Amino acid sequence: MDWLAGAWAVFRNDLRIELRTRYALNALLLFALGALLLILFAVGPQPIPTRVQSAFLWMVILFAAAVGLGRSFVAEERQGTALLLRLNTRPSMVFAGKLLFNLVLVGSLGGVSTGALLLLLDVSVARPGLLATALGMGVLGLAVATTLLGALVARAARRGALLPVLLLPLLTPLLVSSVSATQKAIQGLPWTEAQDELLTLVGFVGATLSAATLLFDYVWAD
Amino acid sequence: MASSVLSSPTVYRSVRALVVALLSGALVAGFLGQIPQLDILEQSARNLYFHVPMWFALMMGTVISAYHSFRYLQSGDRLRDIRAREAAWLALLFGLLGIVTGMVWARFTWYVGSGKWWNFDPKQSMAAVLLLIYGGYFVLRDSVEDPDTRGRVAAVYNLFAVVTMPFLLYILPRQLPSLHPGGEGSPAFTQTDLAPAMRWVFYPSVLGFLGLFWVLYTQRVRLSWIRKRLRREPEL
Amino acid sequence: MTLHPLPASAAAPSLRPQQARPDTAAAYDSTWTEESPAQSPQGLERVMLDDGKIYVVLAVVLIIWIGVVTMLFRTDRRIDALERRLDQDIPEDPA
Repeated sequence: MDWLAGAWAVFRNDLRIELRTRYALNALLLFALGALLLILFAVGPQPIPTRVQSAFLWMVILFAAAVGLGRSFVAEERQGTALLLRLNTRPSMVFAGKLLFNLVLVGSLGGVSTGALLLLLDVSVARPGLLATALGMGVLGLAVATTLLGALVARAARRGALLPVLLLPLLTPLLVSSVSATQKAIQGLPWTEAQDELLTLVGFVGATLSAATLLFDYVWAD
Repeated sequence: MASSVLSSPTVYRSVRALVVALLSGALVAGFLGQIPQLDILEQSARNLYFHVPMWFALMMGTVISAYHSFRYLQSGDRLRDIRAREAAWLALLFGLLGIVTGMVWARFTWYVGSGKWWNFDPKQSMAAVLLLIYGGYFVLRDSVEDPDTRGRVAAVYNLFAVVTMPFLLYILPRQLPSLHPGGEGSPAFTQTDLAPAMRWVFYPSVLGFLGLFWVLYTQRVRLSWIRKRLRREPEL
Repeated sequence: MTLHPLPASAAAPSLRPQQARPDTAAAYDSTWTEESPAQSPQGLERVMLDDGKIYVVLAVVLIIWIGVVTMLFRTDRRIDALERRLDQDIPEDPA
């Protein structure tokens, strides 16, 4: 119970700071919407195949997350609150709290981007359940990877474009499977058709989550 | 502190001699030996002896690099960090060689007449992603100043990347159509993919290139270790 | 079928159906079978296809050789740098 309370406190604190300014969330959503609109303007008014639709969706989510996430650790290092957190909480609590916070951010990002894409392209999803599952797994994997890599990037002196450089190649399996599953959901194929993709996603999320939980101690410790 | 990272010079010299012998033999037998006649491939099937061992060397590099990253996290020994870095460097080299040789091979066999060099074969694309991951590893290393933090951050990234590699190299390529063997369940060759006569050249060649990897790796680790000691940083 | 050069008229860049890459192995089968190109191969291709494509093997071996030699040169450069550093260090060293 102690552990849960600690993780919850980290999450609450991040959420409180975020709600005060709404900086991260607004930046994320505006980036995603802007990118989506620009892509669609660039493509022009023509029928887009379902594969390309789902590819657009995931590219926008991935790039928005790569650009906008991982800020919270940087902020801790800069304001010196990292030391306070290190003294008062165990690393796993910090990881869980930050992961939860990132999950909320990426979750809203995924939801809004999907809604916008479906609305703009006037797509009717034949299997909303499959789409939601693919989106959920993709968002979870994305949040796990950004939380760990965000903590890594916060330790670096020269940050720049570091998070995208580290994040994008690592998430290739997630991207390929999610795009494929999303395409199948839009096309309305039965669940059994998307079995491979969903299993890959579950495996990927499981593997990265366990690895990140174990490895976070070493990033966080001083 | 030991003056050299090389625990046994005799082993090193024997491996070096073995590598020279095996690779010379693989070159001669690779060009002169008998191979089954196949359409499309024709004589280029001999590339099996030279292209495929690049991937074995790459895999060896990733495994060695990940192992030493793991040990670095446990011990904080700077030599482990050097070993992880040099293994990743060589993995990058052999991966690049594997991709370029694969491009040349496919260009003049399966894709002849199309004029295409890059065909988005899953294994090819995923290997390119793997190289990007190791590229990121070195960018990350360069962005951290403090050597201890750099070692730890790089080791964590390396281990996290290794966790995603099975998906990249084994699970995804199997779900996508590919030119490479192993699409139907087995991770590499099945018994029928490799003619018996070719095995006698292929396996020694793989062994030779793995040995070459180890020799290059040992050289680079020794040099890095000397350089680190010359810098006269305070020892931990 | 998908990988052979399209006639100039059909090469409309906007929407090539094969860009949405099919996920079935069957769709790729046709690309594995070689079709001799319409016109006789030119330049690089003519050399590479000669003598049962043995020059492809030569090219691959040469690439690997160049890679190993590059490594050799880099190692040499590193040794040079170390020697220079030693030269700088020794005068300062009383021993």
